[in-house]
Amino acid sequence: MTRTRLAFSAAALALAAGFLPGAAWAQGKVLKFVSWQKDERGVGDWWGSVIKEFEASHPGVKIEWTKVERGAYADTMTTLFAGGKPPDIVHLASFEFQKFADNGWLEPLDSYIKDAKLDLKGWAGQDTCSWNKQTVCTMMLYFGYIFAYNEELLKKEGLAVPKTYAEFLAAAQKLTKDLNGDGITDQFGTGHETKGGGGQYMSEMMNYTLDAGGRWTNDAGKVTINTPEMIEGLSRWKTIVKSSLTPRDLAAGEVRQMFADGKIAMKTDGPWLYPIIQKGKAKDQIKLGMVPFKPPVGGSSNVLGIAADAPKENKKLVWDFIALATSDKFQSSYATLGASPPPSPRADTSAATKDTPHFDLLVQATKAAADAKVDRIPKGLELQFNEFAKMVMEESQRMIIQDLDPKAVAATMQAKAEALQKQ
Amino acid sequence: MPRSAFLDLARPSRRHWLGYLLLAPAVLLIALIIVYPLFVSVDLSFQNVNIARLDQPRRPFTTANYERLFASEDFWNACWVTFKLVTIVSFFCFLLGLGTALLVNNRFKGQALARLLVALPWAIPEVIAVVIFAWLFDSSFGLMNWLFIKVGLVDQTINWFSSPDAAFAVVCTVMVWKGYPFVSIMMLAGLQSIPEDFYNAAKVDGARAWQRLIHITIPSLMPVIGVTLVLVMLWVFRDFSIIYVLTGGGPLKATQSLSIMTYEQAFGFFKMGYASAIGVITLIVCVIASRLMIARAPDNI
Repeated sequence: MTRTRLAFSAAALALAAGFLPGAAWAQGKVLKFVSWQKDERGVGDWWGSVIKEFEASHPGVKIEWTKVERGAYADTMTTLFAGGKPPDIVHLASFEFQKFADNGWLEPLDSYIKDAKLDLKGWAGQDTCSWNKQTVCTMMLYFGYIFAYNEELLKKEGLAVPKTYAEFLAAAQKLTKDLNGDGITDQFGTGHETKGGGGQYMSEMMNYTLDAGGRWTNDAGKVTINTPEMIEGLSRWKTIVKSSLTPRDLAAGEVRQMFADGKIAMKTDGPWLYPIIQKGKAKDQIKLGMVPFKPPVGGSSNVLGIAADAPKENKKLVWDFIALATSDKFQSSYATLGASPPPSPRADTSAATKDTPHFDLLVQATKAAADAKVDRIPKGLELQFNEFAKMVMEESQRMIIQDLDPKAVAATMQAKAEALQKQ
Repeated sequence: MPRSAFLDLARPSRRHWLGYLLLAPAVLLIALIIVYPLFVSVDLSFQNVNIARLDQPRRPFTTANYERLFASEDFWNACWVTFKLVTIVSFFCFLLGLGTALLVNNRFKGQALARLLVALPWAIPEVIAVVIFAWLFDSSFGLMNWLFIKVGLVDQTINWFSSPDAAFAVVCTVMVWKGYPFVSIMMLAGLQSIPEDFYNAAKVDGARAWQRLIHITIPSLMPVIGVTLVLVMLWVFRDFSIIYVLTGGGPLKATQSLSIMTYEQAFGFFKMGYASAIGVITLIVCVIASRLMIARAPDNI
């Protein structure tokens, strides 16, 4: 009897030893999620709501959400992946995920999409997530630029809201002023980032190059910079910057703040400009409309994926998280909380339209950019994007600083871009 | 009995073992923290690798990164920029550091406050200092432009970060401001170790202030000057945050030093093999330069 009891006790202990760690493991499951959007008003709240719902529907699973500043994001993610400790939920900018996908660090999602019957038809910017004929991510935002202008400043000068580049230029020239005669310009016609990263610099330039009909590459990925349209676009950019119609050497955030405070009269930017305007001194004077350029700058913004190195059971959980974020419910709440058009064509945006007065304008701008197939990442240069953007920025700066002919600059850019493609 | 004799570290023949034993943790730690990454970096520089992963098989040996590096205009430009920065910043740091040290070494009312003010830039975190300077030199609304126009030095604003020369000058200014207090503190320590008798004897012999500086102060300070200059030079060589926050290496690569180029190639363009090659060359240059500087005054340092 004693022996039997002992045997049972031993068996029970063995079972406990075998199962308890498993149970503890299930209870203490943590998925790592690194993002630069954690503290961002609106979209950060939306991520928080997705995490809350996920944790509620997956008892015992927690999401460890860590913020990494955008400026240090690529370095941090590269280090995490290279060190073999990637986050389970992979959040990347749409211009940087290609390097990770090319290294095989992103799990192909096709089978997950098929099993979950997730319909990505009409999903804005989803084509960008295709790498080597496999879907490696889901697009979380595709945007189009809108036009914001200080109505009071325009009225003071007797100017109508510009509808074309020529009108925009004339207005910018009239609105750039030294108000107190101290020799320092106090008010600028427009505002662009001219300091900082190549990607943002390129986006700023694209307002003018797209309107002139230029593209960095064609649909086949062939470099098309040395064309009359691009030369015209470069020439327009040179005019705006060299004439100091924009403040010089400022980062994008600083320019947005100056605009919100009434020191810049006109600004083209993405949906994220609105919350900044709302906190600025000139918020009551600022109105929104469609950009005076056709088509507007637009493009994919950020993507969500699964780390290929994550344990198998984590991958399934991460997919659940992605499925939740891409569900109709959360795509609809993205529109409300993020005040941006969600990529899903099935999202119900009626609440967002009520909450955000300019929501229809955002949708219209996004559609205009998407219809014209505009993206900040040129086709055929995805892997070399950072180098390409840096080269474009440097050659443009050279054009402005050394007063070079845009025609010669376009030829130089063409040659350098082709060399990059061959690397 | 023989076993205990083996472990007896007090025995004269075993005494040096204790030294090695005590040193072992530190040596192991240094090997782990410094030598291993260095080895990995050198190894990567001989591979054609974009994003490195330690668990991936080693790529074939190649000298392509070095061939590309030595043929690159950008690399030679970065070398030239680094050389200019090291020379100019070290020189002005030395002048200002020695000058302020001599000043606050004198006894006067408010000496403690003066010493504090001299050392203050050293205590301010680098990034905060750089952000303050970025606003001072802002092209549109900066204090410097306002001041220059008011004084009549210029009639229109200077685009500090759009002009290669102006941007380089701003970077040098910030580096000197941040770096001279270290020189000053080192020199002050050196000055206080010079016996007062030397000066008294020189005064009796009729030596004037300038002569006392040249013949007593500077020679007595030589060991400190040598070490300080090497440290300052190495700091300028490897400093990253000042240039990165102020100019990012631009415009037109006018402020792109070797450290900025390394970072850009590794984390901007994800070319870690190539970036490692730049890092290895930087290390070699640093070692040679330090060795040359120290070797020039073997008796003093």
